[in-house]
Amino acid sequence: MALAIATPVLDSSLYIPELKARTKESGLAQLVAVAHRSGAVRGAGQLLELLRLRERLGTTALGKGVAVPHARSLTVDRPSLVVARSHRGVEWDAPDGLPANLLLLVLSPGEWGEEGHHAFLARAVGAARLQRNRQRLLEAESFDEVASVLREAYP
Amino acid sequence: MSALAGLVLLGDLDLLLHEVEAAGSRQRLRKLGFVLDGLPRLTAARERLARGIERRWMVGYERARQRYGRGIAAVRERVCLGCFVTLPTSAARPAADAGTPEVMGALGLCASCGRILYWS
Repeated sequence: MALAIATPVLDSSLYIPELKARTKESGLAQLVAVAHRSGAVRGAGQLLELLRLRERLGTTALGKGVAVPHARSLTVDRPSLVVARSHRGVEWDAPDGLPANLLLLVLSPGEWGEEGHHAFLARAVGAARLQRNRQRLLEAESFDEVASVLREAYP
Repeated sequence: MSALAGLVLLGDLDLLLHEVEAAGSRQRLRKLGFVLDGLPRLTAARERLARGIERRWMVGYERARQRYGRGIAAVRERVCLGCFVTLPTSAARPAADAGTPEVMGALGLCASCGRILYWS
């Protein structure tokens, strides 16, 4: 099941070309709202609370303008990757102090094991780690361009 | 927050805590670049959440968690995703059969594994 992740990853309904949020709190809320509207998530409130708690464990910002909030939850019906951009940047407590311009919300169903969830997560992190990919994702003018970058990470 | 919502969040939080407490899993997350220094805050949040859930449900949850590692399981197409047993039609969605051995108030229990059921 952990490998069956290609289809939902490339879902245009999970793409936010320009996030309106300025704070981590409102950013998480918008990401979850999009996942909920797409039908990938049932209990939006519980998922949001779980993501808040995850941030209390330690920031999910990786630096260089990237944040990868993530959750494995019973409220998630199908593995999903919400992609959001913020050209202004969202404060995400990054280790390098930079605001997040690229946000990838990784959601795994609760019945997944740790290894499957981490493999899914690792691909998102890997996609955003390459400077070339970050640039392509931030400069993409359509979802198709975003999807082509993600297809390389989730073949 | 309803009892079921609290139990779902508790189940998810326990999965997260296990990820952080298991050495191999923690190592993988650190290798990806994630900071994991707030474990005491997470543990405290778990305790607060558990205190807010009615005792009878916590007993059922903890019993199944001790036995199987997870105290709550999703139901899809009448299958408990904890033990993969197809639930009988009598194990109706919550509320309809409160009082039967398989149902605690509005929360259903899997008659096979005893996990609390989270219906789709």
